[in-house]
Parts: sequence; C-alpha cells; structure tokens
Amino acid sequence: MSRPRVFASGAVAAALALPVLVPHPFVLSLATQAVIWALLASSWDLLSGYTGQISFGHAGFFALGAYTAAALSKHLALSPWLGLGLGAAVAALVGLGTGFPALRLRGHYLALVTLALAELIRLVAQNWLPVTGGPFGIYDFGSFTGLPAAGIARARVIYLVVAAIAAAGIGLMLYLCHATRAGRGFRAVREDEVLAESLGIDTTRYKLLAFGVSSGLAGLAGGLYAYYIQLVSPTVASAATTSLVIGMAVFGGLGTIWGPALGALLLFGINEGLRFVGVVYNLVAVGLVIMVFVIFLPRGLAGLRGRGGGRILRRDAAPTGAGGAAR
Amino acid sequence: MESLVEFLIQGVVLGGLYALFAVGLTLIFGVLNVINVAHGEFFAVGGYVLFAAVVLLHVPAPLGVAGAGVGAFLLGLAVYPLLIAPLNRRLGRRPAGSLYLVLTLGLSTFMQSSLLAIGGGDYRQVPPLVRGILEIGPTGVSYQRVLVLGVATLLLGALFAFLRWHRQGLAVRAVSQNPEAAQAMGIHLARIFSLTLALGVGLAGVGGALMAPLFNVYPAVGFPLTIKAFAITILGGMGNLAGALLASLMIGVAESLVVIVVPSQWQNGVAFLVMIAVLLFRPQGLLGRRAAR
Repeated sequence: MSRPRVFASGAVAAALALPVLVPHPFVLSLATQAVIWALLASSWDLLSGYTGQISFGHAGFFALGAYTAAALSKHLALSPWLGLGLGAAVAALVGLGTGFPALRLRGHYLALVTLALAELIRLVAQNWLPVTGGPFGIYDFGSFTGLPAAGIARARVIYLVVAAIAAAGIGLMLYLCHATRAGRGFRAVREDEVLAESLGIDTTRYKLLAFGVSSGLAGLAGGLYAYYIQLVSPTVASAATTSLVIGMAVFGGLGTIWGPALGALLLFGINEGLRFVGVVYNLVAVGLVIMVFVIFLPRGLAGLRGRGGGRILRRDAAPTGAGGAAR
Repeated sequence: MESLVEFLIQGVVLGGLYALFAVGLTLIFGVLNVINVAHGEFFAVGGYVLFAAVVLLHVPAPLGVAGAGVGAFLLGLAVYPLLIAPLNRRLGRRPAGSLYLVLTLGLSTFMQSSLLAIGGGDYRQVPPLVRGILEIGPTGVSYQRVLVLGVATLLLGALFAFLRWHRQGLAVRAVSQNPEAAQAMGIHLARIFSLTLALGVGLAGVGGALMAPLFNVYPAVGFPLTIKAFAITILGGMGNLAGALLASLMIGVAESLVVIVVPSQWQNGVAFLVMIAVLLFRPQGLLGRRAAR
C-alpha cells in the first residue's frame, strides 16, 4: 500500500467511527442507513459506471436481498447472519441470470431489460401473498442476534457491524478494480468492447463477474436494510429507489466506486436534512442533482479532487456511462 | 362469449392509449436517439392540467383536453434546449451512450416530485368527460372509452399525415434518417429536435387528459406506463412508428385477454415478459430493420 492510500484508509476508518462518539439514536440511525446506501450505490457503480453496463434494476437486486433475508427469517426462523449471506447469494444468482442474456444487449436495451426485471420483482413482491405479505410487506422477522439487547449500546454496535460489512463490500470492489486483472478487464469492456475482444480479453467473463459481484453486493445491502429497518415492502423495489441510487452515484462520480459511496453518504444526509424543510423537496433535489451533474459535472464530486474551481480532470476520458452506445 | 367481446373492446381501447403514448416515445427515439424516461411525467402533467381546468376552473372538457396537450407540448419545447443540447455540447463528438437515459431519469424524478410538491399526493378524481354507455350487441362500452379510442385514432392519423405531407414533417423524417445530410440541406436541427420532443410529449399529455377520468390523477400515474411503453417500443422495433402502433394494440389486447386465465393483479407482468422474450429471441422487434446489439 502506498502512503496516500494508507492515509486515506485511516481517514475513512476514522470517519466511519465518528458517529459512535455521538450518543444520539437519531444520528446513529441516519449513519447506519447512509452506509447501507453507500454499499448499494457503489455496487451500482461497479456494474454501470466502471464496467459500463447500465442497470436500471438495482432496486430489484436490493429488494431480492431484502425479501430473501426477511422471508427466511420470518418463515424458517433463520439466523439473520445466514439470511444476509443467502440474500446476497440469491441476488447474485439472479444477477448472473440477467447477465447471460445481457451479453447480447448493450446500452439502451440492457437498461430497459433491467428496469423491466425490477418491475417484475416488484410485481411478485406485491402479489405473492403467502411469502412476501403482499402490499404490506414482511415485518416482525427479528433483527440482528447476539448483540446488546437494547438502547444506545445496541444502536452503536449495529452501526459498527453494518458499517464494517458495507466497508468490506466496498473494499472488495475497490480491490477487484485496482489490484486484479479484472479491473482492467472491466475498464476495457466499458471503453470499447469490440476492441477488447479483438485483443483477446475475455469480455464475457468480466461482464458476468461484474454482474454477479454487483448484484450480490446490492442484495447484501438489501439484507442489511431488512434487518435494520425491520420492514420490507414492495416500495423498496420501485424505480424511485433505482433513481435515488443512480443520483447518488452520479453525484459522487461515476466509475470510481468510492465516489458513489461518498455521494450516497452526502446525498442521504442532504435528503434527510431536507425532510425538515418539506418531505417532498428531497426528491426534487435528487432529480436536479442527477440532471445538473450529468450535464455539467460528469465525474461528480470525485472529479473535483485535486484541482480547484470545479475543473474536470481529463486523465482518462470521462465515462459516458456505457462503453457500448447502441451502435 | 360476451365477456370475451367485452375484454377485446377494452383491450383495443387500452391499445389506443398505449399507441398515443408509445408512438410519441418512438418518434423521439427515432429522431433524437433519446429514450425519454420522463415520458410518463408528461402524461401526468396532462392529467393535472385537465383536473385544474375542468374541476377547479370549470372550463369545458374539450378545452381542458386541448389545454393538456398544449401544456405538455410547451413543457416539451424546453427539454431540448435546456437539457439535451447542453449535454451534447459538453460531449462534443463522444457518444452519449446511456447518459440520455440517466438524464431523463433525473427529469422524471424532478417532474414527479415537483408535481407532488405542487399538487400533493392525493388521488385527484376527474368526472367522465362524456357520460353514458354505447350498447354493442349484448355488451356495452362507456362513451369515455370510445372517446379515448376516437381521439387517439384522430391524433395518430394527424401525426402520420403531418410526417407524410407537411414540410416540417418531412424535415423530421429527414433528420431521423440522416441528421448531417438534413443539416446540409438547410434544415435547422435544433428546431426539429425541439419540435419532435414537444410533439411526442404533447401526445402523452393528451393521453393523460383522456385517461384522467379512468385512472385518477396522481404524481406517479405515468411512470408504470413509461416502462410498459418501453416494452411496446421494443416489441415494435426501436424507432419504428408503425411497429409501435401494432405492438400497442397487441399488448393492450393481450393484457385484457390474459385476465381470463390468470388473476388480474398479474396483468401488468405481460408486457415485461413479452419485452424480455422479444429481446432474447427477436431483438430487432416485430417490424425492426436491423439487428439490435
């Protein structure tokens, strides 16, 4: 590890530990939800920003993880820790299942198919009453076990556990992208798939890897959400969730993994802050953030790093979101 | 048997609405290469304009419907110069890829939540624009639905005639075939792009007004329709207007008839399953020209 990287890791760990010092349940609750969104936003970025396979269905993978975890704990009294893993596994499998047909699709088509997939998942959640509880969702399925029983101590430990799991997931993606061949494979798929193939890069493998890891971690985020909020309803699978996630990623900076995580923490904070102004204005703000950043700041907050005045770094071409424009 | 005829009629009416919506979406995609994720929000705007006109201001219904179309059209005129042109300017010659999708998704969220902020989250009820039931043999269909189908047919006919014969319509078609060549012939690209977008979302606005008495009006009323219209445009072949028309009717009828075999709450799944199947087995769509990749 280079020295700036050690420094950055230390700073992140310190920042993550900060909310523990504030003995207020509201702060801890906000912080816990924010890190869950950070994991979800960076998982979207791995597939869509970094590998260029635009997914409009991450709400679906998120909901799959949440529903699998909740349903297993509710109906089979499964331990939440197993539920988390199984939720992630189911989401990863469905993600891989989407990845196969998606090998034939690019750009627009992939986005539309994943949007339809999420809508189908929402439809199943709403109508498969015996398992999903229908429109009311699943509740009363318990929370994390083996932690302090109640009070601020429990909130603190839960925050630390959730933050550690989310950080591990984000760390795994950063490792994949920066320290393994897969990272270069992902970037090659994003920049020019045909060229990458002609150079002997196994684009199929890298796309499937991106799909599996991304949807699996989105499912993990869903499981964390389910056990933390203790209610899963069909609205988690709605397009509004996907929109929020994409807004966070665009805000933070596409194709950096850490940018969307940062964007999620900030946007979630702004979002909750705006609740005091008026409940409806937070999504107005999300919509504005998406539009302004796509048009003017495609590299998001991450692109502002190092240079003042909002200049966009051009060390490599700003990601256009999908290497394979419909050609 | 009677119920079969009834379902069939309902399906055709639904198909007419889908066509009004999907043909606009397809036109925009064909000319600007933009998939307008915010299309349904213009449908919602149409519904709100009608609600404001008929229920709050007591304006005659036909004026309300026309106002809904004009309102959506005017909003649509602003989309190209304010959102798409600046993005194109920044990108220069680089491909936009899916950035248009993300951009219009932002617009969709913005419009939907703005409607929520202005109009509140309540379901707004609008009385039928026309009352009564048209008797067809043993069954009947409400005049409201007949009106939907009639206006949809009229407007789509007008649109096709416009594209076929009018000077500006020819320009729209020229731009959709080859923007550079069209520009070289003296066609003002930016004007055609703005006009096409406004026409497309204007149709959605009229659709929203016509359906308001049947669907009620609320901020998210249009979004499910957008996703369904994606399925329809893919079934018909991306950018293919006649295909979109045909696919709209097919999906409308299929959705109405499927209720005979499966519970009605699964009805909305039909379009999505069709979409996934089409993309896997015939990605160019029913009337598509070249293979989609």
